[in-house]
Amino acid sequence: MFNRITANKMFIYFSELIDKPVLDSHKKVIGQIYDIILKPSAVYPQSAFLVIRKGFPNRKYAIISWEHIQDIDIYSQETSLDIEGPRIAFEKKHDNKNELTLRRDILDQQVVDTHDHKVIRINDIHLLFVEQALMVAHVDISTRGLIRRLGFEKLVDFLVSLIAKNSKYLQTEHFISWKYIQPLSANSASMTIKVNVPEKQFSSIPAADLGEIFLDLNIKQQLTFFQSLDALTRARVFTNIDFKTQKSLVEDLAPKQVAELLNNIPSDEATDFLEKLPKDMAEHILGFIESKYAKKLSQLLGYSSDSAGGLMTAEYTVFIKDTPVETALKQIKERAYKVEPAQYVYIVDENNCLLGTTNFRRLILADPREPIQNVAFPKTYSVHLNSSVKEVAYLMEKYKYYTIPVVDENRVLQGIITVDDILSQLIAFAWRRLKKIKILSKNS
Amino acid sequence: MKNTWRKIIIFLSVMGPGIITANVDNDAGGITTYSVAGAHFGYSLIWSFVPIIIALVIIQEMCARMAVVTGKGLADLIREEFGVKITFYAMMGLILSNIFNTIAEFAGIAASAELFGINKYILVPLCALFVWWLIVKGTYKSVEKVFLVACLFYVSYIISGFLSRPDWNAVANSSLKPAIQFDKAYLFMLIGVIGTTIAPWMQFYQQSSVVEKGIKMENYKYSRLDVIIGAFVVNIIAIFIVVVCANTLFTHGIRIETAKDAALALKPLAGQYCFYLFAFGLLNASIFAACILPLSTAYSVCEGMGWEVGVNRRFREAPQFYALYTTIIIIGAAIILLPNVRLIPIMLVSQVTNGILLPFVLIFMLLLVNNKRLMGKYTNSRIYNILSIAVIVAMIGLSAALLLTSFIK
Repeated sequence: MFNRITANKMFIYFSELIDKPVLDSHKKVIGQIYDIILKPSAVYPQSAFLVIRKGFPNRKYAIISWEHIQDIDIYSQETSLDIEGPRIAFEKKHDNKNELTLRRDILDQQVVDTHDHKVIRINDIHLLFVEQALMVAHVDISTRGLIRRLGFEKLVDFLVSLIAKNSKYLQTEHFISWKYIQPLSANSASMTIKVNVPEKQFSSIPAADLGEIFLDLNIKQQLTFFQSLDALTRARVFTNIDFKTQKSLVEDLAPKQVAELLNNIPSDEATDFLEKLPKDMAEHILGFIESKYAKKLSQLLGYSSDSAGGLMTAEYTVFIKDTPVETALKQIKERAYKVEPAQYVYIVDENNCLLGTTNFRRLILADPREPIQNVAFPKTYSVHLNSSVKEVAYLMEKYKYYTIPVVDENRVLQGIITVDDILSQLIAFAWRRLKKIKILSKNS
Repeated sequence: MKNTWRKIIIFLSVMGPGIITANVDNDAGGITTYSVAGAHFGYSLIWSFVPIIIALVIIQEMCARMAVVTGKGLADLIREEFGVKITFYAMMGLILSNIFNTIAEFAGIAASAELFGINKYILVPLCALFVWWLIVKGTYKSVEKVFLVACLFYVSYIISGFLSRPDWNAVANSSLKPAIQFDKAYLFMLIGVIGTTIAPWMQFYQQSSVVEKGIKMENYKYSRLDVIIGAFVVNIIAIFIVVVCANTLFTHGIRIETAKDAALALKPLAGQYCFYLFAFGLLNASIFAACILPLSTAYSVCEGMGWEVGVNRRFREAPQFYALYTTIIIIGAAIILLPNVRLIPIMLVSQVTNGILLPFVLIFMLLLVNNKRLMGKYTNSRIYNILSIAVIVAMIGLSAALLLTSFIK
């Protein structure tokens, strides 16, 4: 098998191939190029099969392995095969396969651009000639790509060059490398996503941007996109979208996925979400998540949302008072991936009563064999479950805490409040105040 | 009991796209057609609203279903399934047809300005500014609420209908018994009444707004109810317009050309309240449609071309969307303020572009809704297909006939 490509070009646009004639080994036209099926492979997928179409209105399709392609002649715009026409089996259908294909799944479709963090529509595909096949190199989302597809590229190029020879339109190619492209094309009936670009790309996108990309998708795409992410990225997305979208997503996920999701997001975010749901739905969800965690969440749900109990999160680092510093540090390292805020470590007695607070610097500088209670700050301030937002904010500001512990009437440690939770409350409060002041000053 | 409440609440959250789309159908052009139909032919055309309801439900239901199943707008689907060339030309057609439709809506605003004795050089720019501001500053939710309120104002036609004290027995009789007359004027009017019912922008607008609402399959039945209610409401209002004119103008043998003539002729016959309600209805309908038509155009074109879409975005985030929206409004309002502008050729061009575009859109819809890969088990059933093909063939035939009649006139 030998593929010869009559071209000194390295790249070709998919739009230049589409609907171009295909010849058999006797140079007889047997149909037109309809689609290219890709090998599900590495970062840059390569062509595996050619789909040929013939006839109108009774269209028929044939799928031909790439090995049979003898020549793609760019100048005469013909593709020739090394098999005889009669041996090519044409059928009525062509898309019962689950591979990724250029025309059906990529060209003209919406995809996520993980480089610029947005949802785009693809106008053309830039293919690279490699030894045995065509490789998807870039996608084109430019207006020029759009005009090329319409068949006016030369005309418009000419007109633009008359007006401005060195215009940006002619000079720049608006390509996005395939490695940044995440297809969304999913069979809406079976809801399966076809390909996953290595997921590490998503972990490099800031969570807020990820949330914004997500909101750009329609509800079908949101679901398939979400399901294509790993558990931690899912949690990052979930905490960065609005409640309506969260709710719509949870309704469509399997109970197991919901349980996993809620286990992965901080408990204060989880309670925030559950609190806003209708009661029966929240109970239903609590019913199928891990029982210990569910208990914790339903306990958190019991507190009023503007009290310390309602604001706190139940994830924090805690040690019994006589734990050696060495052991504590080792355990912290092992649990490094967990979600709790890391600056502060809390020290309790056997009954879980709060004794003191320490931080990482003190732990690292201390003698490794010393019990942890000896490295605590001289004094620890805490708030009560029923303390108001204002009290919490006042204490945190006064003692310059990033997190503050919350205890019940027996000083048993219940959770912690982090500065970001307080900040969002205060900002909302400040806005309301500001509005009032504006209204008052207008009236007077 | 609790269940019923729950159902009502879900319906209220899903409701909107169907009712709004259908109501815009009673725009300045629609009101003119129905007024003339009532004034010239009395009750004898009322029966035609029954098939119109059926056609409207069948076509708009397919859009709502496609939106819910695929999560994509009609322009999106056309682009993804039929490629960029077809989409481009379809969108060009849509822009052209909607620009002319928008001009007609601003003509409606100008006409009602004259009825209320307001200078049109003040009212038309004011309305254009209002319509522009509503979309640029609003969010989808707030805009939809304004639209639903605009739908409520159509009640003015129902009230003016009652004020004209019609003979309800005769109305009921003529809506159930088709009384086709085979003279040329009657047939032309019939074609006009049915032919204006289904316009290409309606399918695009309805599908996009169902998508924007994020309605899911389990709530689809409410979305369908929305479509059905919309179709009934719009036609009931149309019947009332016909009834008002039939009861007053037809019985006195007054001939009219426009909705403005109708309102003016109503004043001595049915009293000034009836006149004001009729004129207010015309103003409301024109503003409402002058907002929706450019909006629907901008939505569909940006969807199809892959540009940022959305009422929820700011100008900077979706420049093409807002530029298109703004341009269409400016063109619409500016042309109507030109001195000596003639409305008849504008209406004619709008009908021609509508008529050319409609067959394509309906055929695309039929192909898309029957595509198993897109729709899974929600493709049309066999009977539904036969019905919808019949409706589509009829609609295409009628809009072709409408074109011919406009040229013959």
